[in-house]
Amino acid sequence: MSKLRDAVNNVDLKRFRFWFQLAAFVLFVYGGYLAINLGNSLPMFSCGYIRDGRAGVCYLLPLQHQLARPWPQLFSYAGVAVLTGFAIFALWFIVLNKGWCGFVCPLGTLQDWLTSLRQKLGIRQSGYTHEQFRRLTWIKYVLLALLLLIPLGIGGGLWSHEVGAPFCQICPGRMVLPLFVGDFSQWTIDFSSPGKIVLTALGMGITGLFIVGAFVKKRFFCFFCPMSALHYLLSKPALLRLRKDGSKCTRCGDCYTACDMEIREIADDVTRKEIMTDDCTLCLKCVAACPEKGALKVDFANITFFESTEEGFIKRMNKGIRK
Amino acid sequence: MSEIREVPLKPAFNQSRQAREAEVMLNHIVDDFIDNPAAMTYFYDLFRHAFIEGKALDREGPGIGTTCIQVPEELIYAAGGTPVRLCNGAYHYDQVGADFMPAKSCSLVKATLGRLHSEKAVPDVGKLELIVNPTTCDQKKKAAQMMEGMGYQVYDLDLPSAKDNEAAREYWRRVVKQLAARLQKVTGKKLTRQRLREAMAKTSRAQAAFRTLHNFRRKAPSLILGKDVFLVTNAYFFDDIERWSAAVEALNAELAQREAEAFSAVQKKAPRIVFTGSPPIFPNIKLPLLIEEAGGVVVADETCSANRMLYDMTAVDEWLLSHMIESIADKYLKPCTCPIFTRNDDRIRRLLDLVSTFNADGVVYQSFAGCQVYEMEQRSVAEALNKAGIPMLYIETDYSPDDMGQLSTRVEAFLESIKTRKRQARA
Repeated sequence: MSKLRDAVNNVDLKRFRFWFQLAAFVLFVYGGYLAINLGNSLPMFSCGYIRDGRAGVCYLLPLQHQLARPWPQLFSYAGVAVLTGFAIFALWFIVLNKGWCGFVCPLGTLQDWLTSLRQKLGIRQSGYTHEQFRRLTWIKYVLLALLLLIPLGIGGGLWSHEVGAPFCQICPGRMVLPLFVGDFSQWTIDFSSPGKIVLTALGMGITGLFIVGAFVKKRFFCFFCPMSALHYLLSKPALLRLRKDGSKCTRCGDCYTACDMEIREIADDVTRKEIMTDDCTLCLKCVAACPEKGALKVDFANITFFESTEEGFIKRMNKGIRK
Repeated sequence: MSEIREVPLKPAFNQSRQAREAEVMLNHIVDDFIDNPAAMTYFYDLFRHAFIEGKALDREGPGIGTTCIQVPEELIYAAGGTPVRLCNGAYHYDQVGADFMPAKSCSLVKATLGRLHSEKAVPDVGKLELIVNPTTCDQKKKAAQMMEGMGYQVYDLDLPSAKDNEAAREYWRRVVKQLAARLQKVTGKKLTRQRLREAMAKTSRAQAAFRTLHNFRRKAPSLILGKDVFLVTNAYFFDDIERWSAAVEALNAELAQREAEAFSAVQKKAPRIVFTGSPPIFPNIKLPLLIEEAGGVVVADETCSANRMLYDMTAVDEWLLSHMIESIADKYLKPCTCPIFTRNDDRIRRLLDLVSTFNADGVVYQSFAGCQVYEMEQRSVAEALNKAGIPMLYIETDYSPDDMGQLSTRVEAFLESIKTRKRQARA
């Protein structure tokens, strides 16, 4: 048992994640061809616009459609559909918590691949200053509020269906992910109505930003992702948890250096036990980069299955040096 | 006719005052104890050669002096140089250096200046092409110009004094990159990704060896005495890093064997002490020696001549040159528990953690008279330890051997009180 624990703690996380993410990517982008269907309440960007290949649908797509029902329906029988959809979403989410972002989300994986490409080209990473970080971190909540309120407004007759599923129209996933099944049809501006022109044009711009952004900055898009905001609001009862023991932390900042999302608290906060913040993607790189035994650990249903160790740190570090 | 032979005017080095001082201390360290680990012979011999026989230490590449732990040694190795930590522990050089500093200044700074000012000083590390002087305490800051006055090239490494600040981290990263540029000029060698990787591998090996040694000290009863470990880490100041690492690995192998044989280097009830404050540097191993001669054992330390210098390791996310340098820079700033920082919760947390994880019974806090920053932090550290129910002995001293008698009485009384506490706790 202790041997198994050592093996897990000594894991080459980088390699493990690469293969895990690749498998998840293949499953959710091509699984549909094998008739795999995991429903349409998935807590990550398994994009509904991948027509045949998808093995399930990102919850944000049906959610926006459901909320756009006329209010009399929404507040009666259609409300049941909203609630069941949400319940299934929550059940999926609770298992992996934000691990969906760091290990499963195809759009997240794609950004990690762009990062690898940049590293291969020897181009250095960029980051935000602390002030920029503080100012930008709110955007995901604004997007989340908009993606809920705009459909509600449609249902209430405040504005027209032109702006239906507004977030999907601007989400880079809609344009980028179908490319992997050879579908370029999303790369157009929809001139059918002014609302559609604005949203699809915005989507085009954001997709461009996504590609450039992810190339220069690790996990560029995740910082603005409304799914990430929704996750955080529901994360209290989640089973997979990132925990910190501040008394063992030397605040050396190794975890902060490794963090794709530039979360400073992971290194500097020595009082909070539940250390997952709203920007976290639970990629667990911080745990792998921590040299202090038990300072950072990952629990599933309160059972620790991966924790920082000196031995694991030195192994991974030496692997990096020798490469 | 027989040739007239010139009679040497100068006596042999081992007759000199600094050699005698080192010899007295080394003899205590070696001869006052039975059961010294066989692998310690390497270190005893090293100190004998360097400090008593005054032999030159062969080192590769241009010598780069450092005066505090915040100078990234990986960059020096990668640029083809050899770092030498200049902080000195000799009372002889303390007296020489007294000419440069006000009367009430720290022995360590005075001794460092005194050594640099002396001819044929030990340890003899050859010519120094550059001295990198981090702006830590005021006395070290002001020492820079004095070193320049002695004819050395000095580089001020601007260490921020408020490390919690994010702007300070970014500034420090820039400072370290500028140092990298300067080092390349001094050595004439380009710092490449490959060379930095190799340098990091050297440091990483040394740190891994140190951490293993550190972990062996958790065992109770102890497998090794603190006086030996201080000698080991002191050797890191000037020894060849590969030789040093190999010697520590050999020592670790011996300790593993000792552990398997259930060997004990001390009495079962020996009070376990965490040492903190001003750093013991050979020949000034006075206080740790007194503790262990009085029947205690130093099981861990929080000083810049040992733990603080070697413990914290670098993690690199992207193996590109600029990011590697940034990661290295972070390691030298963020976890550092040097008292020159504006606030020092990290130091207190580290001490509490060491006491609990090393199963220690008390803390001995050494402060060199005139080392204001350690003197000032004494109060907050004492309060925090007191709150946690950990006894602490605060000792203000310097490099002179005059207070040995008085200190030994205080240390004995402290250890005795710990033993009494433990007895009462059991009863």
